[in-house]
Amino acid sequence: MSAFTFVDRITELEPGAHGRGTFAVPQGLAEFRSSLVAEALGQLAAWVSMAHLDFALRPVAGLAGQLRFLRDVRPGELLELEVGIDSCDETALAYHGVARIDATPVLELADCVGPMLPLADFDAPDAVRQRFGMLCEIGAPIGRFMGISGLAIEVGERGPGKIHAALRIPRDAAFFTDHFPRKAVFPGTLLLDTQIRLAMELARETAAADQDLVARSVSNMKVRSFILPGQEVELRAEIGSEADEFLTVIQVARVDGRQIATARMTITARAA
Amino acid sequence: MDMAEAEFTQEEVMVVYPTVAEAMAEALGCDVGQVTLNASLIEDLDGESIDFLDMLFRLERAFKVKIPRGKIIEEARGELAESDFEQNGKVTEAGMQQLRAYLSEVPAERFPSPMKVADIPRLYTTETFCRLVLRAKRSDLTAHAHR
Repeated sequence: MSAFTFVDRITELEPGAHGRGTFAVPQGLAEFRSSLVAEALGQLAAWVSMAHLDFALRPVAGLAGQLRFLRDVRPGELLELEVGIDSCDETALAYHGVARIDATPVLELADCVGPMLPLADFDAPDAVRQRFGMLCEIGAPIGRFMGISGLAIEVGERGPGKIHAALRIPRDAAFFTDHFPRKAVFPGTLLLDTQIRLAMELARETAAADQDLVARSVSNMKVRSFILPGQEVELRAEIGSEADEFLTVIQVARVDGRQIATARMTITARAA
Repeated sequence: MDMAEAEFTQEEVMVVYPTVAEAMAEALGCDVGQVTLNASLIEDLDGESIDFLDMLFRLERAFKVKIPRGKIIEEARGELAESDFEQNGKVTEAGMQQLRAYLSEVPAERFPSPMKVADIPRLYTTETFCRLVLRAKRSDLTAHAHR
């Protein structure tokens, strides 16, 4: 399995306390988006917490207090992952982390929380334990991630400082085989990626034509419920505040009229 | 836990209330003016279980205390054995008495009957969170005193 796994080696681990690992971004990809770097840190934190709780429970996406995107990651680079566990018990995992390339930070996470749910609802605990052993001992084969496809957003209504769009979650996609084997759930980080793309589209409408924009941070991201295969997600992005150097975009995602995720993003001009 | 020990004066509650209300408004994305002392996180402010977790972590950071999430229900049942507090996921009559005392700030009419243990957080008001903070602060002080 490697359709949606972003830790291919655990190099250091103290269950419930901290962990380090790596992910070799496959050379042949067209791109490796920052939301997947955040996913990699989340997956490493999940390993540290599952090992601590003897593979009875696993964390799922919940809250991301702060994500800082420091630089793009390119195919062929080796991600060095490090997470610190702020707390971990039967109810929730709280953690922070940093991803580096050649010792230089490329993404930082802080104040992240994942509610704990029974692991057996999502995966076979023995298989997870076995995979954990492999990641710690010899590592997983690298270069098997093939990218994410088929997640087009359909832009709908536009107005001054706001944009609406729809994201149709496929009924079948390669990433569902890993996320998760017993229960297909649309990854929160792919929702984040979609929301960043929408925020960028909104920002481009207000920025000068020659400005090269980049998403710099995400704060207060909250995933309220699972997004399932076949659902249609209604996305709304609105400019919250605007200054010379940056603008913030408030994001709300709904399914069947119910708010299922919120986030705030900061977009800036890319430094020359 | 001795329930008498759990009592806090309204003055003590009001000292932490502004910060608790601010955390609640941030967690729910609502106006701080909506976060009255007796507003229920879930029933009045449309919060969900993830907001409950969000609140606890925000309060921990704001007040630099540890609020043991797994122990909230344990604290609520006090000295009652688990089997005396709940049966088949529902709070027993003795459990309800204990719960009403523990959550004395929650109006009596808000306690459903029968009550599922999983629904206890639905009762939590802003004042309940204030009291959780006060208990955590007191527990920290006690822990320091015993070092």
